[in-house]
Amino acid sequence: MDYLIFSFSLMLIYIGLAQLLHIQFGLAGIPNFGVVGFWGLGLYGTGVLYVTYSFPLLAAIAAASLISAAVAWVLAYLVLQRSGQSILAATLALAAIVATLVVTEKDITGGVQGIGTIGFPFSEMANRNVIYFGFLLAVVIGLIWVSARLRDSRLGRQLIAIRDNEELAASLGKDTAAAKRMTFVVTCALMGVLGGLSAPLHQFLVPYHLAPSLTFAVWIALVLGGKGHNLGAMIGVFATFGLFDILIETYAPVPQDYALMVPNFKLFCYGALLVLIIMYRPTGILGEDAPHERPKAAPTPVPDTPVKEG
Amino acid sequence: MFDVQAMRSGYGDMAVLKDLTFSIKDEIFAVLGANGAGKTTLLKTLARLLPLQSGSMKLGGADVSATPAHAMPSAGVAYVPQEGNVFPDLSVAENLSIGGRTGHRPKEEKLEEVFDLFPRLKERLSQAAGSLSGGEGQMLAVGRALMQDPKVLLLDEPSAGLSPIFVDTLFSSIEKARKESGVTIVLAEQNAVKTLEIADRVMVLSLGEMHLLREREGLEMKDITEAYHI
Repeated sequence: MDYLIFSFSLMLIYIGLAQLLHIQFGLAGIPNFGVVGFWGLGLYGTGVLYVTYSFPLLAAIAAASLISAAVAWVLAYLVLQRSGQSILAATLALAAIVATLVVTEKDITGGVQGIGTIGFPFSEMANRNVIYFGFLLAVVIGLIWVSARLRDSRLGRQLIAIRDNEELAASLGKDTAAAKRMTFVVTCALMGVLGGLSAPLHQFLVPYHLAPSLTFAVWIALVLGGKGHNLGAMIGVFATFGLFDILIETYAPVPQDYALMVPNFKLFCYGALLVLIIMYRPTGILGEDAPHERPKAAPTPVPDTPVKEG
Repeated sequence: MFDVQAMRSGYGDMAVLKDLTFSIKDEIFAVLGANGAGKTTLLKTLARLLPLQSGSMKLGGADVSATPAHAMPSAGVAYVPQEGNVFPDLSVAENLSIGGRTGHRPKEEKLEEVFDLFPRLKERLSQAAGSLSGGEGQMLAVGRALMQDPKVLLLDEPSAGLSPIFVDTLFSSIEKARKESGVTIVLAEQNAVKTLEIADRVMVLSLGEMHLLREREGLEMKDITEAYHI
C-alpha cells in the first residue's frame, strides 16, 4: 500500500511537471529539455539545506526553488532569444551540469553515496503518507487550474501570440523577451518547488534521481497528450508513468527472470509510442489547443486561398 | 510623420536599403517595386523590427532610431506584414483584442469601427484565425492594426495572393479608413494600378535604392515602369 501511495505521489509530481512544461512549450513555445535539471536543483537544494544546514523543510523548499529561479533567470538572459535548438541544447546541458555537480561536489551533495534522510512532513500523524499525497494532490490541482486558466487570460493569449509569431507580437507592442523570460523563470521555480516536494518522497537522494529519463518521460507525456492542451499533458502521464510505473510494475505477473527487463521494456515502449504518435497523431491524443468556440455553421465560401500560418 | 535620413538597413551585415532619405507626411504614401526591391525591409525598418545600420529616423519630430519594436505601437505605428499576419491559434476576437490595448479610446468603440470597415469579421468572431480565407485574414490583420489607433499604418503588400474582388474591397476599406480616421498609410505594393488609385505620393524602389519619389498627380504608368527597370 505504501508503495502504491509513493507511486501515485510521484505520478502527481510528473503531472505537475507536465503542466509546467505545457505552459513553457505548449503556450510559450520554449523547448525546455532540462526539466530534470530545474527539478533536481529543487530536489537536491532542499536535501542539502535540510540535512546539512538544518533548514526547516518548507524553508528549504522555498530557498531551493529560488535557486532554480536564479539559474533559470541567467539561462533566460543567455539563450531565450536565440533559436529553439539553442534553448534545447542549453537546457539539456544544464541538466547534465546539475547531474555532474551532484556527483563531483560530494562534500555538499554526498556524491554517489547520496544525502539523507529527508524528514517526512506530518510525521506525528498516523497516515502521513496519505496526508502528504493529499497535499501533493492539492498542489497539482492548483497547477492544473492555473494552467487551464492561463490559456484564456491576457498573459496566455500573449504567450500564444509570441509562440506563433514573435515578430508580429512585438509589432503589436508586446515585450516578447520580457514575457518569455518571466514565464520561464516562474515555471522553472515551480519545477524547483516540485523537486523540493519530491525530496520527502525519496527521503534519501542519489544521483540516479537526476537521470534524463524524467525529462523524457514528461516530454513524451506532453507530446502524447497534446502539447497545446493542459489536460493532454495529464492524460499523457497516465498513459506513460501510470501504465508502466504503476500498473505493470505493481500488478503485471512478470516472471522473476524477466523482471529486470521491465525498465528497459518501458523505455522501448515510450520510444515506440512517441514514434507512433508523431506518425499518426502529431497533435497528440487531445490535439492542439484552439479557441473554445468554433463556427456553428460552415463558413461562407470565399474566392481565395487560406491564410498561411506564420 | 516620418523623417528618414540616409537610412541603411538589412539583414545582418548585408545592406538591402542604401542611404534612403525621404519624409512621409499625412498622406497615403505608396512604395512600389519588384520582388527584392526592399519594400518589406523598408517597412520592417520603419516598424523597428530591423535595426538601422546607419542613418536616422524621426517620428513626429522624436528620434526613434533606437526605439525597441514593442514601443512603436505606443508611439503610434502599426504594422501589417505580408505573410503570417494573424495568430492562427487565436480566434478572430482574440486577434482583434490583442491589438486593441494601445490608444485611449474604449475597445468597443474601435471594434465597431473595424466591423463597419470589415463586416465579415463580425460573423467570424469566434472562429480560429488560421481557418480564415486569405482575404478575411488580410482584413483581420488590417482591422487589428486599426484597433491600435495608429497615427501611421504600415501595410506590406496587402493585395498579395488575393482575388481581384477582394483587392477592390480591401483597397476601398484602406481608403475609407484613411478618410475617417486620418491615419497616415504607408503602402508597399506590387499592384501599381490599384495603388495609384488611392496614393498621394509614390516612391519606387529598385535593389534598395530610391528611383522615383513623386506626387501621384501627373504620374503615369510609364514613369513607374521606367523606374522599375533602372
